[in-house]
Amino acid sequence: MVKMKISRLFLLLATIFVSAQSNAQDNIQPIPPEGMVYVPSGEFIMGSEIGDHDEKPKHVTSTSAFFIHKYEVSIKEYLEFDPNFKYSKGQLDNAVIVNWEQANNFCKCTGSRLPTEKEWEKAARGTDGRLFPWGNTFNESFVAWDYNDSRGGSIAKPASPYGCYDMAGSVWEWTADWYKPYPGNSKLIAEYGEKYKVMRGGSNFNNWSFYITSHRYYLHPIEISRYPVGFRCVKDL
Amino acid sequence: MRFTTVFLKILTLWICLFHEVYAQSVNEFPQKSDKLFKKVDLYEKLMLGNHWNEGAIMQHVIFPPAGLNRPIVGSQADCLDPTSEMLVALSLKYSITKDSQVKLKADQIFEAIEKLEKVTGVSGLFARSFNQTDKALWHEKALWYHEWHTSSSMPGYRWLGDISVDKYTSIIYGVGTYWEFCADQEKRNRAEALIDRFITKVMDDNFKLTDLDGKMTLWGNLCPDLPHQPLNSLLMLTGLKVAFHMTGKDKFSNAYKMLIEKYHYDDHQLASKVLFPEEWRNVGDDYHAARAFYMIMRLEKDKSLLNKYRMNLNRHWFDWKSMDMSWESSPWFPMVYHVLTGEDVSSNERKMVWKNMWGFERMKKAFEIPNEDGSIKIVESEEEGTAAAMIRNYWFGRYYGLIPPSW
Repeated sequence: MVKMKISRLFLLLATIFVSAQSNAQDNIQPIPPEGMVYVPSGEFIMGSEIGDHDEKPKHVTSTSAFFIHKYEVSIKEYLEFDPNFKYSKGQLDNAVIVNWEQANNFCKCTGSRLPTEKEWEKAARGTDGRLFPWGNTFNESFVAWDYNDSRGGSIAKPASPYGCYDMAGSVWEWTADWYKPYPGNSKLIAEYGEKYKVMRGGSNFNNWSFYITSHRYYLHPIEISRYPVGFRCVKDL
Repeated sequence: MRFTTVFLKILTLWICLFHEVYAQSVNEFPQKSDKLFKKVDLYEKLMLGNHWNEGAIMQHVIFPPAGLNRPIVGSQADCLDPTSEMLVALSLKYSITKDSQVKLKADQIFEAIEKLEKVTGVSGLFARSFNQTDKALWHEKALWYHEWHTSSSMPGYRWLGDISVDKYTSIIYGVGTYWEFCADQEKRNRAEALIDRFITKVMDDNFKLTDLDGKMTLWGNLCPDLPHQPLNSLLMLTGLKVAFHMTGKDKFSNAYKMLIEKYHYDDHQLASKVLFPEEWRNVGDDYHAARAFYMIMRLEKDKSLLNKYRMNLNRHWFDWKSMDMSWESSPWFPMVYHVLTGEDVSSNERKMVWKNMWGFERMKKAFEIPNEDGSIKIVESEEEGTAAAMIRNYWFGRYYGLIPPSW
């Protein structure tokens, strides 16, 4: 009887110890590489019921922990990867505009990768399902709608819950994913499949609702037409 | 040798006689010193002759040789603007002259707007523009926008999608004015049906302009559940007001009421005009607002709402009264203000601007034409802009007594 009580007490203490260790580990945030922020693992709310049909259904999903660039990749940063990249003078600090292949190659060569749609959306809206990176109320002055002010330039813009800037406006951002319906979305359209890549975040050339964190848009990975599309990279822990 | 010479002469004659497609059909341009009515008359001939695309009016025409043996090609994103302007111009001209030939042209332009819907194959979905062609044309990838589709409802046609709120306004303004000033009963019925289908689709899509893929277009947000520009609130109310006026259907007046009472579009529209910082002022947005004011303020009978629209108009007037009037539609803004408020703003300076209105010059430009193999050839070609706004300005001024026939 006494043995039973001791073993129960031991088990209880062991559980408390393991739990405390686990919490301590969770509270220690890994130090992100320079220019990146940390996004912890776990669930978040993805999609929307008020946006386009391809944003439905609003659902809970999860990601592993990852690091993601605080800003979109700039022309100056891209030139280190491709010195022959053509750009306009005076725009070195602006977000670079490239096709998917170029963005993907940049990420690979820098030991990173493009974010999945899940990762991008989580980095932009956190876990509370907010509409915009800064909250639920639209504020025009928080958006980099002028290409010359991209990458957190001259106006104060609140960061996303994890510290990312310009996830609304500036330039669209490439994700790693093909344009496909979310699980549970039964509305099929011809554009779904492995022809178009998903871009996120809206740009300086579209209506305001494209800045909503759940908004999806698709574009050919090579022929980007005049869409201003840039990117940011992620790194696994 | 002699045979060769004769053959070459016959060949040249044959080309001249049977290849008119290589030449502009109208070539007479006005002089700056011409009277205004003559300038308008010649520009009207140029627009209806060289810019005519089965009744739709091209905003920009690049003449061959430009890589194609067809007379019309050019950027087509904004074709609904000059199409609407010419429809308004001819409708007002008809109401003054009662000339059946003018009405015939107006009818054909209206039918082209019907075709802009028919070519998409979806009721209430309108194309920006169309071309009769079996295959993609070179400019589809070279000139923005690029959302060209093969028509499933009209074989042998391709159409340009991603319609925006400014083109929505062109349809409301053009068809609404045609219905009011020009259309006979049969055409009035068709115009009512067209506006009914158009606005019903916008309502069914929760006040969004959607494309063939069902997604909202780049500039198609009039939705109460999504953040949108204040100007779009004014445009949505205008569309509903005009639709109710034309069709008498309660669904439009109910939606108008809902957007005001539940979503406060009447208050939201007050901020349509960005006045400061000055560099944010946008004459393009002014144009959409001016067309909306002209349509909604003549129809609204509720004094409180009318007062709100007037407040918005006043904010525009703050800028318009001292605006540089060199842009094609800016001379029209004071006319609209004059008509809607009854305030005489026809100063001598403005009268001089109206009297000296001008269209476009024919220009030469080198175009980069993509070949099928991906290479580029440089072709120098002639091009024309549009004078549709200037012609509309003139007939609007004539109709409302701001421009005398003698100018």
